[in-house]
Order: sequence, then C-alpha cells, then structure tokens
Amino acid sequence: MVEELLFFMEVLVGGLLAGTMYSLVALGFVLIFKASATFNFSQGAMVFFSVLAFCGFMQDFNIPFVLAFILAALLMVVVGLCTERFVLRPLMNASEDTVLMATIGLGYVLEGLAQAAWGVEVRRLDLGIGDFPVPWIADNLKLFISALDITAGLVAAIMIIGLFLLFKYTKIGLGLRAVADDAGAASSIGIPLKHIMLLVWSAAGVVALVAGCMWGARAGVQFALVDLALKALPVLIIGGFSSIPGAIIGGLIIGAVEKVLEVYIGPFFGGAIEGWAPYVLAIFFLLYRPEGLFGEKIIRRV
Amino acid sequence: MSTSTNILDIKNIEVTYDNVILALHDVSLKVPKGKVVALLGANGAGKSTTLKAVSTMLASERGKVTKGTIEYDGTSIEKQNPSQMVGLGMVQVLEGRRCFGHLTVEENIIAGAYSRKLSKGDINQELEKIYTYFIRLKERRKSQAAFTSGGEQQMIAVARAMMAKPKMLLLDEPTMGLAPQLVAEIFNIVKELNTKEGVSILLAEQNTNVALKNSDYGYIIETGRVMLDGTAKSLLSNDQVKELYLGISKKGRKNFRDVLKEESLTKKKIN
Repeated sequence: MVEELLFFMEVLVGGLLAGTMYSLVALGFVLIFKASATFNFSQGAMVFFSVLAFCGFMQDFNIPFVLAFILAALLMVVVGLCTERFVLRPLMNASEDTVLMATIGLGYVLEGLAQAAWGVEVRRLDLGIGDFPVPWIADNLKLFISALDITAGLVAAIMIIGLFLLFKYTKIGLGLRAVADDAGAASSIGIPLKHIMLLVWSAAGVVALVAGCMWGARAGVQFALVDLALKALPVLIIGGFSSIPGAIIGGLIIGAVEKVLEVYIGPFFGGAIEGWAPYVLAIFFLLYRPEGLFGEKIIRRV
Repeated sequence: MSTSTNILDIKNIEVTYDNVILALHDVSLKVPKGKVVALLGANGAGKSTTLKAVSTMLASERGKVTKGTIEYDGTSIEKQNPSQMVGLGMVQVLEGRRCFGHLTVEENIIAGAYSRKLSKGDINQELEKIYTYFIRLKERRKSQAAFTSGGEQQMIAVARAMMAKPKMLLLDEPTMGLAPQLVAEIFNIVKELNTKEGVSILLAEQNTNVALKNSDYGYIIETGRVMLDGTAKSLLSNDQVKELYLGISKKGRKNFRDVLKEESLTKKKIN
C-alpha cells in the first residue's frame, strides 16, 4: 500500500515538474497575448530558433556557456525588434486575424532561418544537469525525481516572480498592462505602443530561450520542439490566455494529469495517451469554462 | 484673429475613412487659448471625427484628413502621431471613458503620466494635486476601475488625461449616459480645470444646453459641416438652436437642412 502511494507521488511530482516546462512555453504566449490580443503561432519556432542559436554559438564557435546564453538572449531581442518593425508596425491597424496569420508566417521564417544557419541535425544540449533521479531525494524520501525536472521547476519559478515584479512595479509594466486593457486608450494618453510591443516580444523571446534549454536538454535540440510548444495550447485554454498565474497552473495541471492518466488509464487504451489527453481536457474547458481558470472575463459595455 | 491667440485652428478640413467614406465635408473651427469651446451635433454628425483628426488618432481607424489644415499652437500637426501630440500637450479623452478596467483607479491615473519623465516623488505630488479636483477618486483609489460607476470612470478618464499636463484637452461626450447630477459635477470639474489650470478645452457634446452653459463659444455641426457658430450666449438665445437642439420645438423641423429648405421655399413664394 505504502509502495503504491509512493509510486503515485512519484508520478504526480514528476508530472508537476514536467508541467513547469509547459508553463514556461505558455508564459511566452501569454506575454504576447496580453499586449496584442493575438495567439502567437510563432512561439514554438521562437523556442526552436533561440535554443538552436544557443547550441550553435557554443558548439560551432566554441563560445563559453554563459556568453553564448547572453548572445542568444540578445539575438531574441533583435528578433523582437525586427518583428515589431517589419511585421507588427505595418499591420498596426489590421484586424487581429491578420496579425494571427502573420505570426504563422513569422514561424516559418524563423524555422527556415534557424535551419539555414545551424543545420538540420539533432543537437545534444548539455546543461551540466543530468536527467536522472536525485540520489538524496531517492534515499531519503524514496521518490525518484529527475534533477532536470527540479531545475526546470526552479527556473520557471524565478522567471515568473521576475515577470510579476516587472509588470506590477515598473513604469513599462504599467504601460503593458494599460495596453493589454485598451490599446486605443493607452495610445490616447501617450503610451507608445511600439515600445510595449518591443518589450513583450523580447521578453517572450527570452522566455522561449529558457524553455528551449529545458526541453532541449531532455529531448535534444531538434525540429520537434516546434510542435512540442503547441502543448501550450491546452495549457492556455485551461489557465486562460491572458493570465500569467493561469499559464503556470495550467502547465502544472496538464503535466500532472497527463502523467497520471498515462500511468493509470493509459494501459486500457494501449498507452501513449499523453499526446492527446490534454486536448480532451481542453475541450471540456472550452465547453464549460471558455475563459479558463484565471482568464480575465470579458467585460463589454453595451 | 492672429494665430497666437488661438491654440487650435482648424481650416476647411475634409476627412475620409477607408478612402471612400466621407465623414467631414468642410469643418473650420478655432479654440482661443484658455477658452472652452463646445462642438455640438447629433449622432454621426462628425464630432468625434473632428476631435480624432486633431489628436491624430484618426490613423488608427483608417481615417485621413484629405483637405484643409489643422494648426495646434501655431504649427501644423500633419506629421504627428498620438504620442507626439500628448508630448506637445494635447490629450484626448475618448468617447465611452475607456478606463483600464483591470488596473486600480490610481494606476489608471498614474498611467496618464507615462509620457512625462517623473520621479516617484513627483508622481505622488501630481497625484495629490489631481485628487484635489477629483475628491471622489481619492476615496476609491485602490478599487479596480472596472467596478467603479460610470461617473467615476469619466472622472478617471479626465484625471488620467490631466496627469499628462495638457495645455489642451479634447473631451468626447464626457456626460454620455450620466445622471443629471453627475453631468453637473463633471462640468464643474471641467470648468475648474479650465480656470485654475488654464487648460483650453474643446468638447463634443449632445447635451446642448449644459454644454453651452459651460462654454465660451459653440459650433453646431450636421452631416460633416459646420451649420452655425457663435458665442455660447448667442447660441443659447438663438431661436433655431432652441427649436432644434434644446427641444423647444414647433412644426417638427429636425435639423438645419430642413430650416434652409423652408427658407428657400418661402423665398420662392415671395418671388
């Protein structure tokens, strides 16, 4: 009995920690959704692009780890800059649907550029953190939990606290929240939309880089990262598109639920239900609580 | 009048939306420094369009000034964008209040100072000054703006605009949907801001009577044209204005076009 409980705990904790990786990816989506009310389909490509550049800097140019990370982060700021200038600004008065389509196009451009610059083969990313159970926890709590999962959890927590502080207490954070509420009114009192756009796209780029490092260390830096990022969709449907806490908790729920279902219900379906179980959950949310757990309810004056 | 006495000088502007829809045919108006000017007319007459042409917010609605000129403080505004206009001291309070619903009342007001480089201390000082005009908002400073009343939201919108330290305010239907008591309260604040802070004001209103009583000068526009203008006093005592806009009606004439038609008919009869 005790052993069964321990096993369940292990599955649950492993799921929750893996979920923080989903949270990280979802965070990038939320940032952009807040500012431009657009689901950024290129977020997956940004994850792939950023982490591949990071690997490229380290492995092809022998740049040390920290410097390569900083360079990759700067590169993402440049990507944000170019996106604002060449994609968003010309589409400033276009409908949200048009911007949505543009992000799909942007995704293809980024995927293509990344592969043209760094090649198509799978790269190994070694963060110096092993994807194996931490001995201390295994000995003392009898739980087998991966060191990489724990690191991802910590990193996600730090990023979330950082972003929360940025939005709540800085001037540009206030500007971002104002734009998220009403871009027209924000512009009428002199908040320059282009600065805000630049900020969120750069922040989303850096978040993508961090998420990419975590995923890449586990599964290899490869094209499949683009599709993996789409797991953020059910995360966002559950957590709410416009809520940072929602992205975090949505990620945790998806991570935990898919692991628990895989282990306990998976065998009845012949296994591998991780891939689609989150989407089924998302459908239930769309039917019964479309704004998600933490999404901002849409208030409209008539 | 020389340009130095007018803070705003609009000359014969024509505005089109999407390159085809003609919203303003020919509008000219002046706002003298330190005065309150009312822009009156029914729904769709072109009041909002005129204000947005001035604040350069037209571009974000695919509108464009296709003829005529707009001079603010002696220089053309043709090449400006909304945030530059705010920098020059011209702030528009949009129709429908448009508060940031998820921000607190105080955060809304502070957001108005975004274009100015102020320290935390300066911002607090400005806030206290603003609160002396909007006492009601000070009590509600920590509430989420979406949960405040319509009148309070209008005050937030004006207070927020005042944080940008404007020389001129454009108010688009500030009393829309408000109870008469609140209408009076809003206009009292507007008058106070005008006299104490020296802010010039151009306000669009459907509430003709109250607007004229609180203004120095008035323009009446219909279907994108200025039909009549004059001092607020003269407009209030004008028979046609009384009939068409103040609801003291006879014969069922609805607008100035009807009046002009009738006049030409009687002329023909006389001839």
